[in-house]
Amino acid sequence: MNRSHSNLTDRMVDRRKLLGAGVGVAAAVTLRPAFGFAQGTPVSGDITYWHHFTSESEMAGLEQVTSIFTTENPDVSVTSENIPNADFMTQFTTAAVGGSLPDTTMAAADRIPDMLALGGLVDLSERFDAWDGKDGIDPSLMTSATIDGQIVGIPAFLFVDWLYYRKDWFDEAGLEAPDTWEELREAAIALTDTANDRYGFGLRGGDGGQGAVQNIMRAWGGLSADDAGVPVIDRDKAIEAIAFYAGLFTTDKVVPPSAPNDSYSQIMQAFRTGQTAMVLHHTGSLAEISADLEPGVEFMTAMVPAGPVERIQGVAPLYNGMCKEDNGDASWAWLTEWTTPDAAVAFLEATGYFPASSTAAQDPRITENPIYQAAIDAIPIGVGPLSFVGAPGWAGTSVLPAFQQVLTGQATAEEAVDQMIADLEAEIG
Amino acid sequence: MASSMATPADSSTTVVYEQAVARSPFGSLRRTRRFYDLVASVVVALVVIYAMAPIVWTVLTSFKTEKQIVTANFTWVPTSVTFDNYVTLWRRSGYPHLLMNSAIVTAMTVAMSLVIGTIAAYSISRYRFYGRNGLMIFYLVIRMFPFTLLLIPLFIMLRNLGLFDTHFGLALTYTTFLLPLCVWMLKGFFDGIPPDLEEASRVDGSTRLGALVRIVLPLARQGIAATTVFIAIGAWNEYVWALLLTTANGARTWPVGLQLMVGEFQMPWGVLSASGIISIIPIIIGFAIVQRALVSGLMAGGVKG
Amino acid sequence: MGEQATTQNLSATPQTRDRTSSSNALVSLIEGRAWAYLLLIPSLILVAAVVVYPVLDGIWLSFHEYRLNRPALGQPWIGLEHYREMSSDPVVRRALKNTVIWVTVGSISQFILGMITALALHRSLRGFRLASVLVLIPWLLPSVVSANMWRLMLDSRLGVVNEILGRLGLIGSGHAWFTDPSTALYEVLAVELWKNFAFFTLFFLAGLYAIPSEYYEASSVDGSGAWQRFRDITIPMLMPVIVGAMILRVIGLFNSPDILLILTGGGPGHATETLSLYGFQTAYLRFDFGYAAALSVLAMFCLMAFTVVYVRVSGVTKE
Repeated sequence: MNRSHSNLTDRMVDRRKLLGAGVGVAAAVTLRPAFGFAQGTPVSGDITYWHHFTSESEMAGLEQVTSIFTTENPDVSVTSENIPNADFMTQFTTAAVGGSLPDTTMAAADRIPDMLALGGLVDLSERFDAWDGKDGIDPSLMTSATIDGQIVGIPAFLFVDWLYYRKDWFDEAGLEAPDTWEELREAAIALTDTANDRYGFGLRGGDGGQGAVQNIMRAWGGLSADDAGVPVIDRDKAIEAIAFYAGLFTTDKVVPPSAPNDSYSQIMQAFRTGQTAMVLHHTGSLAEISADLEPGVEFMTAMVPAGPVERIQGVAPLYNGMCKEDNGDASWAWLTEWTTPDAAVAFLEATGYFPASSTAAQDPRITENPIYQAAIDAIPIGVGPLSFVGAPGWAGTSVLPAFQQVLTGQATAEEAVDQMIADLEAEIG
Repeated sequence: MASSMATPADSSTTVVYEQAVARSPFGSLRRTRRFYDLVASVVVALVVIYAMAPIVWTVLTSFKTEKQIVTANFTWVPTSVTFDNYVTLWRRSGYPHLLMNSAIVTAMTVAMSLVIGTIAAYSISRYRFYGRNGLMIFYLVIRMFPFTLLLIPLFIMLRNLGLFDTHFGLALTYTTFLLPLCVWMLKGFFDGIPPDLEEASRVDGSTRLGALVRIVLPLARQGIAATTVFIAIGAWNEYVWALLLTTANGARTWPVGLQLMVGEFQMPWGVLSASGIISIIPIIIGFAIVQRALVSGLMAGGVKG
Repeated sequence: MGEQATTQNLSATPQTRDRTSSSNALVSLIEGRAWAYLLLIPSLILVAAVVVYPVLDGIWLSFHEYRLNRPALGQPWIGLEHYREMSSDPVVRRALKNTVIWVTVGSISQFILGMITALALHRSLRGFRLASVLVLIPWLLPSVVSANMWRLMLDSRLGVVNEILGRLGLIGSGHAWFTDPSTALYEVLAVELWKNFAFFTLFFLAGLYAIPSEYYEASSVDGSGAWQRFRDITIPMLMPVIVGAMILRVIGLFNSPDILLILTGGGPGHATETLSLYGFQTAYLRFDFGYAAALSVLAMFCLMAFTVVYVRVSGVTKE
């Protein structure tokens, strides 16, 4: 493990970003005593907060954060409203058009441009600049929440993408954790044993798989954003990427046959029940997998493999944003509460979700757990999801179906990429 | 009624309906009857198995632990029964609150839909006036227009009326969407009732409204029961409007709570199946009551020629 | 036929006979034609209030560019542009074709199974009352539960269906459902059949109970056979209920594809995309309300055209 990670760090870490993160950590550590009491003047008011937490652990974490917050700010009451994630944008859109937005809301990185365009997020730049806690936030975590120079979200916690792999099977076969997609493919071929219903890689071809497809295209240099944040597709490289990724299923046959309709539950269950040797997801699913497989023995984590052009190591902060200024000070106090070590560690303890504040990330419960090493290595070189106005729509209604058509033999990689290009032009045109 | 009767029947005695063939006094038909009974039994048995097998599986799943569900070693019956899924469900904040809201909204919807729908269906069934065809189609428009574009205007309308996050607002919305069904089905059942019965009652001095209540409704009770079940189910299981028009601390109903089980990074199969079982129990009890009240003839006594 | 129709016609015409017992204005109103309209008012107000504005607004929107996440574009009039776009959109073509299959196969299969079940249950043998509740349960279960449970039961790894069919040797191990674009829609339709056939059973059974037994007795005297009785009594008597239930089910299938959404989400690769699903995704995933409005208008006109023809052919409002 150690060896592969140090290799990784040597090769892949962007030194500027690493340095930035280091400074951030140092600054945050020195500021630590001031953190909990940073808000000098007491604030008051009743605020509402929309979120899409669902599981019991997430709800418990939210309750903890809320109670820490209300102890510190006794004059503020927070009313939380939970909304099923799948319908979050339906409700948010309706509220934005209907004029009944909450004071604060959770805002996933890829939804932020749309939420801002719908008129649902206010500019927090002034408050952010005046905030003494801002040094605790790695600047790279602010990119997805900074649009046209406006800061519209404060990171609450992170989902760090990583690769889960069956350490026992890899050891048995004398394989190392893959560091590139090509190595992943070779390992997957070596570990696939269809006669025993064992496959090398769990590919998410169903709902939610669009993120991985985009990241593959980015890793091959087929999809990128220009300086203005406008997405650009390099047709040939994108075709190569799609052909490779779909090829794992169609030609290499290292992916279970159910892949075209496999969503989160299915890829996770396949890994947990020992049908697949590797699966890509993020830190949010660690607890679920650990319930079935022993961490460090049966399974281990590694950084997302690198493509021929780039390593797209996804680190997606989940942000909180403000929808209206009515209770500005109280809302701001609530947004920043999530970055304080007290709240972040409480939330981590409840859920296992990675803190956004670098201070909290230095907690020994994280640094001393080898399972988290991949995530710690990943954060400095992490990149957010490609976000632009219309990004989730394009990903969900074009990228995913086009990719599924390649998986199911209804289209070639060329046709799929051409379809994505046409839809992208219509989307941003 | 485009009925072409093989034999005109004396319908003035048609008061209590029974199973004609079973009671038929003609013995020569007994053998064929027994054959059909056998066929019916086989069909019913097969359909019950078809309908119930997945339900039984859902019940079994609700008593399994996550480890017994997500496992490489398939388990048919839970090796050790656990009630954890039900306990988890019960502990979830607001569960009784959500269930109560659902019950209130469902009851209000059933009451409003039945009253408004019955009189409208009666009017269309019994009166001949210009534009009946168009009217029947107009009722359906509300279900024809994809709800995608109804969400925002209706949301704004209800908020402006001060009905946002109220039981009544939600029930009113449901009533609107269930009315077409109510009108269409009840009209169908009213059409099947020979109008000469009302004529007879009206000769006795009853008003049309009186005839509706005392003659038509009791005769259409099976149809009303079926329509009631449909309305109740529609209101009980509705999700999108419940989500948009209510808040967690207000009138939010059970289906929203149910949807929240299906998280982004979780699919607790056991809890989901337990919640499915929990959510149909009140409906089945309600159905049994409705069936008893309306089918077994509490109202049948009111029918007089 | 003749006799029946005549009585009905007579009685259907609002009566204005002299009534000594009731002479006040209210009663005459109640007995008059105005009463017919009066009874319709509450439902008409409710339906009109909810339908008229959104439908007109939707039609208006469909001629405009209106993308919620691009406020800078405004809402310019673009005429028939969306409709032109639709005519060349391959997803629309696919969705239309799928919608036709989805609605036709769905409604007919559910009708047949629902009718057979209702006819069998109508014989009211011992235990049939319980059976009539049991067959309803799939229809009572919320879609989110039943669709997800089917996903579990049809899972290629954990699913009980694969376990059974695999043991019977009907499918290979690890058979994956909903992944073959040519059969995925029919696989979802099979689940849809299970979920909703009881809708027909419920209403048909109610309709069957309402048929006076004397009709059957009289026909038994005539010595007519079971098929004849079915054709000459059951079907005609049940017709108003059949007509209503069928149109409502067709519209239901057309516009609420919740099972489809959970089982396949329109995939793989638009193989199970339907018009309403596509419209919803266009509005709330892409925020293109102009195009979504055009899709909704198309959906509404398809249904409207079907309904008008259907109402005429079925003679639902004929005497």
